[in-house]
Amino acid sequence: SCQVCPKCCARDPTVGKSALAQMFRNDGAHFQKNYTLVSVQQAQTEFFIFDSAGKDLFSEMLEKLWEQPNVLCLVYDVTNEQSFNNCAKWLEKLRAQAVGVHIPGVLVGNKTDLIGRRVVEQKQAQEWAEKHGLEYCEMSVKEMKNFEAPFHILAKSFHQLYKEKVETFHSLA
Amino acid sequence: MRAIDWCRSSAGAALVLATSSDEQHPAENVADGSSETFWTTTGMFPQEFIIGFPKCVKISKVAIQCYLVRTLRIERSVSKDPVGFQQCIEKGKILNLNQQGFCGNNVLSFSATYLRFIIKSGFDHFVSVHRVMAEGTAENT
Repeated sequence: SCQVCPKCCARDPTVGKSALAQMFRNDGAHFQKNYTLVSVQQAQTEFFIFDSAGKDLFSEMLEKLWEQPNVLCLVYDVTNEQSFNNCAKWLEKLRAQAVGVHIPGVLVGNKTDLIGRRVVEQKQAQEWAEKHGLEYCEMSVKEMKNFEAPFHILAKSFHQLYKEKVETFHSLA
Repeated sequence: MRAIDWCRSSAGAALVLATSSDEQHPAENVADGSSETFWTTTGMFPQEFIIGFPKCVKISKVAIQCYLVRTLRIERSVSKDPVGFQQCIEKGKILNLNQQGFCGNNVLSFSATYLRFIIKSGFDHFVSVHRVMAEGTAENT
């Protein structure tokens, strides 16, 4: 089976979200694209990625961009506490956009390469993610470390949702 | 002439296109005459499938059995090939009309060689379509 999920990536400016989206979807390719494929249990999950700008200037466009979102990737900068604090705002915005529908999501701490400048601890972020029903992972886009993890987490969650829904359809039939 | 359901593979109907193709739940399931089997959408909306009839038929009733479909548009074509579609039915909030049975029992009268079912939005990430029905008679040609 093949799932296509429009994936909302929200973040504050400069946390490195676009770098993540670009690295992941281009996978060494010489052209830009905004979709990518991930395999989970022999099922292919195709991501159609909406990279949402973190600047307030663009916030009005988000509602249009985020119509019927399927999964969420929320990126913050581990060296910037404000970017972490803003995650609550982004999450709230997205959930308001999808009332009554479960949106699997992952919180991603980026820039783990800047060890000396880190201000948001893993434990703190992990707890926040858990409290809000999100998965958690960390990465360094700069060092190309773990940058595939959020996509694999989301593909797995989305595939799981699909399997559960199909079970429901079976029981209703 | 007796009216029959043309959306049945046993009546010569063929699925010519579907935007989702889980091998376990193919679009052919909407035309097998069974409510137990179904087609699932696997991703972003809109999603659609096109059913072709063996000839141009005069349709008087269209119905669909589905779950979690929010808005649906049905288009028809009278061409030999599946092109030149024009809208004939648009329904919103289908789920709320009739959750378990055939939805949108409209009395209609139009000709078609192809019907295109476009699911514009759903109440969930995924929706299912169990059966479609288009009752009518063959046109005298």
